[in-house]
Amino acid sequence: MAWNIGANDVANSMASAVGARAITIRQAIFIAGILNIVGAVFIGSHVTKTIRKGIVSTDILADPHLALIGALSALLAAALWVSFATWKSLPVSTTHSIVGAMIGFGIMAGGFSVINWGKLGAVVLSWVISPVFAMVIAFLMFKTIVKFILSKQDPFSQALKLAPYFISMALFVVILSFLFKTPLGKQLALGTPLALLVALVLALVLSFVAVKILRKFIKKTNLTGEEEVFRKIQIGTSCYVALAQGANDVANAIGPLAVIYFLVKTGSVGAKVPVPVFLLFFGGIGIACGIGMAGHRVMDTIGRKITTLTNTRGFAVDFAAATTVMVASKMGLPVSTTHAAVGGVMGVGLARGIEAVNFRVIFEIILYWILTVPAAAITSIVIFKILQLFIYRNF
Amino acid sequence: MRIPFISMFVTSPFDGVQEHAEMVKECAWVFQRAIECIIEDRCEDFEQFRKDIDKLESEADAVKRRVRGHLPKGTLLAVDKFQLFRYLREQDKVIDAVEEGLDWLSFRAAAGIPQVLEKDFMILVEAVTDPIEELSKMVAEARKYFSSFSEDQRIVVKDMIRTLRHHEHEADKLEDAVKEKIFNAIEDPVAVFHLIRLTEIIGSIADHAENAGDMMRAMIAK
Repeated sequence: MAWNIGANDVANSMASAVGARAITIRQAIFIAGILNIVGAVFIGSHVTKTIRKGIVSTDILADPHLALIGALSALLAAALWVSFATWKSLPVSTTHSIVGAMIGFGIMAGGFSVINWGKLGAVVLSWVISPVFAMVIAFLMFKTIVKFILSKQDPFSQALKLAPYFISMALFVVILSFLFKTPLGKQLALGTPLALLVALVLALVLSFVAVKILRKFIKKTNLTGEEEVFRKIQIGTSCYVALAQGANDVANAIGPLAVIYFLVKTGSVGAKVPVPVFLLFFGGIGIACGIGMAGHRVMDTIGRKITTLTNTRGFAVDFAAATTVMVASKMGLPVSTTHAAVGGVMGVGLARGIEAVNFRVIFEIILYWILTVPAAAITSIVIFKILQLFIYRNF
Repeated sequence: MRIPFISMFVTSPFDGVQEHAEMVKECAWVFQRAIECIIEDRCEDFEQFRKDIDKLESEADAVKRRVRGHLPKGTLLAVDKFQLFRYLREQDKVIDAVEEGLDWLSFRAAAGIPQVLEKDFMILVEAVTDPIEELSKMVAEARKYFSSFSEDQRIVVKDMIRTLRHHEHEADKLEDAVKEKIFNAIEDPVAVFHLIRLTEIIGSIADHAENAGDMMRAMIAK
């Protein structure tokens, strides 16, 4: 499952960077692998909790056997469905598959009443909101770049002058997510206003250091010096996306696994199951393996197909996608990185920044939302039934 | 695996527009050679030039149709879709006018262009080929603007459009002068009709180039 995520979703984080020729394919794979692990381990735990017990009521998890079968069937169903989709070239989201699979198991185990429809509604709503949110951010970001940098007399020095603000914005969100609710942040135990202040100061300081380094490495060579500045910044934002992706997507693979692990270890499921860090790490490794093994092919396609994305646009897309995923992941909502990235591209497209973008992919995405959830749910139900048969026979 | 992220990126219609502009440029070159040929005493290649233009015209038409036909609904461009189509139409009309000019000339190829007017026609043809050679450069510069959004680049494109307009104005003045000379120098009414119509067709080449420039101006408007 984690392997699938790595293989398919790596496109989202690294696509714009590779497409805009900011980094090579090899570098992209390396960076994405490492940062997915980091994101998974340090920021990843919240979504896992939501998937594990937010949608399906914990009451039915009281029976350890049922819960074990359920979690197993959910994991298998989602993995099967995603593999099938990969084989058939369908653009599905791993996030949606796992949510659907959990629903299927919930219905089987306790009927329709155990599904927390309100929570499910919030999750579905977040799927709609996340592309829109990313779109708005990308649109504003690109408009800002055009207004304050590109249309100026000397875009190169403007880009250098404003670079610290762009970098610190990205850093601010990353640091904030580290400070809130992560194991690391909890140890520091900062209050909200103090955390905000610390994040702000840290972000500003770090960004000025980054710009110092930028200035050293970039020499004005030709007319497109400003793109060169964003080329360097984009390496950073790609890392940002990979980090956010690790934080968000690890839950897809680890959520049900955490339940199984806990059951095997303690024999029951409490209302609050701590997610062991090593499981998150394991998930991160899985994603990294997927990236390492299949990412090359995906990235190669991207490098050849996406040629109209320049560095300024790539930056806007990356920034919007990562911020959206990061915020959603902090709120415990499982959103799809793909949708955030698609939303980001749409935003830049609406700002007329790309020569041609086809928005019809949106309808395709919606179609597969509608398809994926029930399909994964039904698969999960079938597997659940089969497993039940086997296990009860053994008793 | 079909990744939604990738399927968002479709081939830019500007590739086709650029290709089309290159064909227009090639056309201008062939046209000039053809007129030079007919003015020479023994012209054997004229039919060949005419065939070349015919071929170029149908190829350019195919490019035009490809651009128009391969923009799926819901595609968002850096410019308005119909502005782009209008631009392409004007650019295509330049080739059409060149083709029409050579066709018209071929109807009375034996008579050719009278010696007294040879020089005037050469100057007129030169005046209209200058602007159409600019078109491909203008498209390239405009694309640069759409990617950089730099004000300097916008001014570069605007200057090119202004030059185009200037060229058209010059060609217009020349056209009038040639017409006047035709009426005064030629006695044969059939020859007058043929030459006047030829002058008008050649003049319209520059008109279409200017119209294309105007559409480009609309596309780069803020």
